[in-house]
Amino acid sequence: MSTTISFSQPDLLPLLESMDEAALNALDFGVIGFDAEDRVRRYNSCESQAAGLGAERVLDQHMFMVVAPCLNNFLVAQRFEDARAEGSVLDETIHYVLTLRMRPTKVRLRLLCQPGDGLAYVLVQRL
Amino acid sequence: MSSLSEHPGQQDYEALLQFLYMAPVGLVQLAGDGAIHMLNPLSAQLLMPLSPDGGLTNLFDALSPVAPDLRAQCAAFGAEQGAICDAARLYLRAQDSGQGPQVLSLSLLKLDRNRLMAVLSDVTLQDRRERQLRRTDAWLNAIMTNIADYALVSLDSGGRVDGWNDSIQRVTGFDARIQGQPYALFYPPGATTPEQQLERLQEADQNGWTLDEGLRQRADGSQFWGSSLISPLPGRGAEEAAYCLIIRDISDKREISENLRQATYCDYLTGLLNRRAFFEAGERELLRRHKVPRPLALLMLDADHFKAVNDTYGHPGGDAVLRQLAQTMKSVCREVDVVARLGGEEFAILLPSVDQDAAVAVAERLRAEVQRTPAGFEQRMIHYTVSIGVAMLDEHMHGLDELIKLADQALYQAKRNGRNRVRRGAPSQPSE
Repeated sequence: MSTTISFSQPDLLPLLESMDEAALNALDFGVIGFDAEDRVRRYNSCESQAAGLGAERVLDQHMFMVVAPCLNNFLVAQRFEDARAEGSVLDETIHYVLTLRMRPTKVRLRLLCQPGDGLAYVLVQRL
Repeated sequence: MSSLSEHPGQQDYEALLQFLYMAPVGLVQLAGDGAIHMLNPLSAQLLMPLSPDGGLTNLFDALSPVAPDLRAQCAAFGAEQGAICDAARLYLRAQDSGQGPQVLSLSLLKLDRNRLMAVLSDVTLQDRRERQLRRTDAWLNAIMTNIADYALVSLDSGGRVDGWNDSIQRVTGFDARIQGQPYALFYPPGATTPEQQLERLQEADQNGWTLDEGLRQRADGSQFWGSSLISPLPGRGAEEAAYCLIIRDISDKREISENLRQATYCDYLTGLLNRRAFFEAGERELLRRHKVPRPLALLMLDADHFKAVNDTYGHPGGDAVLRQLAQTMKSVCREVDVVARLGGEEFAILLPSVDQDAAVAVAERLRAEVQRTPAGFEQRMIHYTVSIGVAMLDEHMHGLDELIKLADQALYQAKRNGRNRVRRGAPSQPSE
């Protein structure tokens, strides 16, 4: 698997779906994949290290209640909810401040979601 | 990945991190100047919608649109440690727009000279429930407390005094000649409008009662603090009295209720109404429009080049300008107008029963008066000007936020066109 995949490259979602865990862990940005019930299914090591949490603490947990409560507002969670309700494609990049290990950290977030059974993703690039 | 969990203590550390990540209340540690050192996710969830583009580097900056006095309040707090504010309410927006909370609670604790802790939580629902309770309280207060003296006035269906009795004479000094006059004669001039008086009657019809507290006037022109309860009379015929109005002199209780009102509804610096009071008053006006359509004008105003004033004279100079501006605003407004400071150097005035031409005239008078009246500060006079945007509520608007937006656009135009001027908002097109 090539490691030249970048945070902002187009059509990233199908690519992420095809990657195995090792390939996800090789990425230099954080990846959190969650299912239609908002349960976290994928969590790569870049994100794990930044947040200071082992994947086992995060997998199967609720994305917006347990893992990333800071994203539970109209800027992020609402966008996923809307995209799912409308059956539309979501691919937006926004500036945000995360609280990794309680330190305010400026990041870019890329929000990805497509109609169908696949996972939705939040990608995190620290600035 | 399991490498994270190998060291003893690492599990405890992660559990502690997750505890903070999941805490259902916002926690922030900051320096004395507001710089954020640590914060948990819920703080970010609550604060990010306030400044989606700005980083969360400084709590005072992040909250300045809704709590402009926070920095000054902290600076004025002399003690080495202690609570600077305890569950203070911050009012973010007028109505539920789906864009995050409407009301936040903020507690700020000083730990030492350069460390503060803040606790933030979303209290939108709690605030709504309390408002409901307050209304009930006011009602109970009106009927349960000492009713040693009161005037009992019967009104006809148009709100005119229908009958005279001793109690009216005793409390207000008016004699029988007031029969047939509108009940506004118990109010000081400018404290009510004919439309407002009719709306009170309609409110009484709908709710069974209506209550308001404020200045009342006796026959000799002297004033007292009174509460007025209007209630429709049951089973009335066309020719009979339609309402009963009870006026009580509650001057002795005024201090208590005024202090409470000030703490809740007044801006710390200028004494004008604060955001909360403005939003509540605006909501009331909007509700009324469903019963009786009447014009409602909004002026949004902003002190020009205010940053330069602060840079030249320091914050105390800026504060002097804001206080002077508040005075000037009051001097050109009626008592029934809602005059408020929304944040920083941003002010608003709601003018009930005023059409667009009259609203522009008020704005123009205010603009000229501000230019003519500089603020005094340390034996100097600070000359300043204001820009004003005027907007009218129209039937296509869905809420106060839309009216504010239109007035804001007009204000922006006034600024772009060179400041020290008045612009009116473009009438909106019917949306469907």
